[in-house]
Amino acid sequence: MKTTPEILMVDDNPADIDLTSEILAQSKGRFHVNAVTDGVEAISYLRHQGKYAQAPVPDLVVLDLNLPRKDGCEVLSNIKADPALAKIPVVIFTTSQASTDITRSYKLGANCYLRKPGNLPEFVAVVQSMAEFWLGFASLPQREKR
Amino acid sequence: MLPNPTNGKLRILLVEDEPADVELALRALRQAGLDAIGDVAQTVEEFTDLVRKNSYDVILADYKLPNWNGMGSVEVLRQEGLDVPVVVVSGSLGELTAVECIKGGAADYVLKDDLARLPEAARRAMREKKLRSDHKRAQEELARSNQELEQFAYVASHDLQEPLRMVATYTQLLAERYKGKLDADADKYIHYAVDGALRMQKLVQDLLALSRVGRPGLRVRSTDCTAALQAGLQNLETAIQESGARVEHAQLPVVMADSSQLVQVFQNLIGNAIKFRGSETPVIQVSGEAKGKEWVFTLADNGIGIPAENTESVFVIFRRLNTREEYPGNGIGLSICKKIIERHGGRIWVESEVGHGSTFKFTLPVTAIEQQGERTEP
Repeated sequence: MKTTPEILMVDDNPADIDLTSEILAQSKGRFHVNAVTDGVEAISYLRHQGKYAQAPVPDLVVLDLNLPRKDGCEVLSNIKADPALAKIPVVIFTTSQASTDITRSYKLGANCYLRKPGNLPEFVAVVQSMAEFWLGFASLPQREKR
Repeated sequence: MLPNPTNGKLRILLVEDEPADVELALRALRQAGLDAIGDVAQTVEEFTDLVRKNSYDVILADYKLPNWNGMGSVEVLRQEGLDVPVVVVSGSLGELTAVECIKGGAADYVLKDDLARLPEAARRAMREKKLRSDHKRAQEELARSNQELEQFAYVASHDLQEPLRMVATYTQLLAERYKGKLDADADKYIHYAVDGALRMQKLVQDLLALSRVGRPGLRVRSTDCTAALQAGLQNLETAIQESGARVEHAQLPVVMADSSQLVQVFQNLIGNAIKFRGSETPVIQVSGEAKGKEWVFTLADNGIGIPAENTESVFVIFRRLNTREEYPGNGIGLSICKKIIERHGGRIWVESEVGHGSTFKFTLPVTAIEQQGERTEP
């Protein structure tokens, strides 16, 4: 039986979380989207700490770079350094177009770097293609038993 | 270097081997009201040591010394990066040597048997030095404030993008969700808001592009202009297809330039030629040829042209000659071109007549200029 893909979105902008969730809710595939708004929360979520003890293991992490408390690059390197988490694909989804951010993210093990487009039609297209590719076409590692 | 602890007295370094001549020079200055304290150096080592330790107002250097030449002091100062005026004080050397001293960087030349002229020579040398350092300070100040302004423009336009993205995206979402569900006025207002946000985005992006041109890191290297032009045309693909524009060009030269900036220049100029087209299908002719020490590029179009009185002001930022309804745009494109070309050491201008097309020309030096902190790559 195919389980519903789980997405963890890490973004401090509630508008982007709303919009992304809505676009995913309206797309063909079915996804569960969970969101946290800072880097420390993201790591707690992924490690099932505290209130996240029952949180599902995500199939895809969508990570903003500019985050409070622990920035996106730190979260990314924490994930990739943790044997239990390293296999989860991480898509960087950010406003930054700086080549330093792009290079650094890939060096830290990001699986994909997407820039948030400045207008609605492109934003919709990017989110839909991301979900279609990562949770449709791509073969993902087996989800860890909990 | 220590501050000048002389209480208003001049601090002078004499390059002189005759104690009597030292006394005569100082006396000549004092008689003219220039109270001076003098140190004496006879060798290049003593001289170097003293100028490193002390700050002198003026140096009086004898031309002939037993083991040294007074003009050597100019060389030492240059190596040490010090700007202290040197007045050569010497027995008669002949006109040729005197001229050589001045050409070599001495501020003045005074004969030992005409020391009455020394005070005025010293005063003038110090005046000139002050003018030089004032000028240098003003230039440094200007460069710093320019850099701050550019940094500000960069940060401002960069940080404006994020909130602007929110406004653009969500007004578009409003338009999509509620079009026809409110009333005609609401649709119109939402349309204004979306249009405004998208225009502001373009403006912010162009301002960012403009401020990027001024940032350090110009990568000057051998650049094939035919390829740069083609890259620019590729970026204009939609506009070219929609307008049916034809761009004619022969082989363009290979120049020393930052290739991505050159692409931008071609793109902006040809984009303008297409945008400001007349009733005819746009035809743009591009050529580049060597003239003396520079390349001259020409982009001639058959568009609406520019009134003669505006051929300079079109390069000024935000300057637009037409209403936004007729021709959209924000008046940054040509100022980006101007900034890029001038940064490469070239010039840009336009020759035009209303109704008879415009011919934009720009030059690039055949040998690339090297700017501070920037690289020239082969």
